[in-house]
Amino acid sequence: MNRDIVVIGGGIAGIQSSLDLAEMGFKVYLVEKLPSIGGKMAQLDKTFPTNDCAI
Amino acid sequence: MLDVGRHPNIELMAYSEVDKVEGEAGAFKVTVRRKARYVDEDRCTGCGACAEKCPTVVSDAFNEGLGQRRAVYSWFAQGIPSTHTIDADHCRQLNGKKCGICKKVCQADAIDFEQQDRFIDIDAGAIIVASGYDVFDASRIPEYQYRQIPNVITAIEFERLLSASGPTSGHLHRPSDLAVEEEIKGLEKKAAKALKMLGKFEKKYEKGSEEFYLEYRDGKYEGDEDRRKWAEKYEAYLAVSGPLEEMKKEAEAFDVAKRLAFVQCVGSRDFRFYPFCSGYCCMHSIKEAIIANEHEPETTSVIFGMDIRAVGKGFEEYKIRGGNQSGISYIRGRVAEIVEGPGHNPVVVYEDTRERKVMEQAFDMVILATACAPSRDVEGLAEILGIEINRFGFFQTGTSQPLDTTRPGIFTCGCAHGPMDIPESVAQASGAAARAAQILTDSRMRKAS
Repeated sequence: MNRDIVVIGGGIAGIQSSLDLAEMGFKVYLVEKLPSIGGKMAQLDKTFPTNDCAI
Repeated sequence: MLDVGRHPNIELMAYSEVDKVEGEAGAFKVTVRRKARYVDEDRCTGCGACAEKCPTVVSDAFNEGLGQRRAVYSWFAQGIPSTHTIDADHCRQLNGKKCGICKKVCQADAIDFEQQDRFIDIDAGAIIVASGYDVFDASRIPEYQYRQIPNVITAIEFERLLSASGPTSGHLHRPSDLAVEEEIKGLEKKAAKALKMLGKFEKKYEKGSEEFYLEYRDGKYEGDEDRRKWAEKYEAYLAVSGPLEEMKKEAEAFDVAKRLAFVQCVGSRDFRFYPFCSGYCCMHSIKEAIIANEHEPETTSVIFGMDIRAVGKGFEEYKIRGGNQSGISYIRGRVAEIVEGPGHNPVVVYEDTRERKVMEQAFDMVILATACAPSRDVEGLAEILGIEINRFGFFQTGTSQPLDTTRPGIFTCGCAHGPMDIPESVAQASGAAARAAQILTDSRMRKAS
């Protein structure tokens, strides 16, 4: 049984999953297609309904 | 993002794709292809000296093509990892031309034109697929004339225009105006070059070009080859300077977009494309209209939709606040078509269902609330992972275990699962993480007992 985990996609969902698992003590490999993580959310200026800054 | 980059338990493999998956839950063997960046990730400090000197200008995909970047680039300024990447399709050196400037200026000696794709095998117990979605290609709806009318843009493009770190530093300059300004820049360069050339002649013959040209036209210098060239250069200059002056005059009247229209359900709730409601677009448009009004208090927005779906805590209040304080009006009606009016103003033709009338209204800019479409490579990825996709093109999940795909040990979350907004994606992501942890810890405990 291997306890490592592969997360495919470095958008907000992939980032959240990776951080959760890493905090639990699992080794995570986060694979992202583009040169940097962040996904669509990194392209957003602010988010609803609080108008907080994005990522 | 920063936390991911420095967490000791996370190995970040950016610019990589999953190539092959073998095995089963608890014992997967995942082959990852690390694409050649032509930049050594360990050495690059992200200083950007290479991008500053790179001579090749390319349209910037992160800014949805509204800005430009170089052939060696960072995906965006705060990107993690901050490693730069060479775009092999556009780099001069990698396409057999003489260049290599980036290599010369890189103090960290990180540029490596010989780099190849590398394949790495990972043993893993579980896989989480969070491969996201694609923005619906609005040009598939011919009546909205996206890409035909320059001031009809998508919500994500508008997002980049609104962003302080975007191509217009957050000012709502219209794409048609930006194009003219770009052209002015090009012509100015040409005019300056022509003037320099004319200067040489003027010095040689000690005469102004304009005066000389009048004499030349009168036939004073017939047969003089050198002066004929001068006249030609002057004519070429006039051909540039005339339109340049006109454009400059036109550009003086340019203003930021203040009358905005948002068109809802572009691709969603449309049986030609996606029958489902993408869920987040109504709120996204309201947010964009509110922020636009914050940037420029005179901005007014009209949101055209069949109904405004403000489902969520505080969402309805947000919608009402937008109407009361941010100059938004909501019109119930589907937009039939968008045509181009005078001054590059898009004109929206719609049916106002409350008035029971077909109406039209001109705006400075129209923003299309595009659907959450399944990602382009979803089929390829599903095949690699050995999982199924549903009839909408998202990953198939079970009803009792909504984050489990059809293959045990592989979970999905976020917009790869279906359209959803950010808080929902985050909640699902934590759920998928918990499911993965569950199956791995569960069997470990069984082994211990």
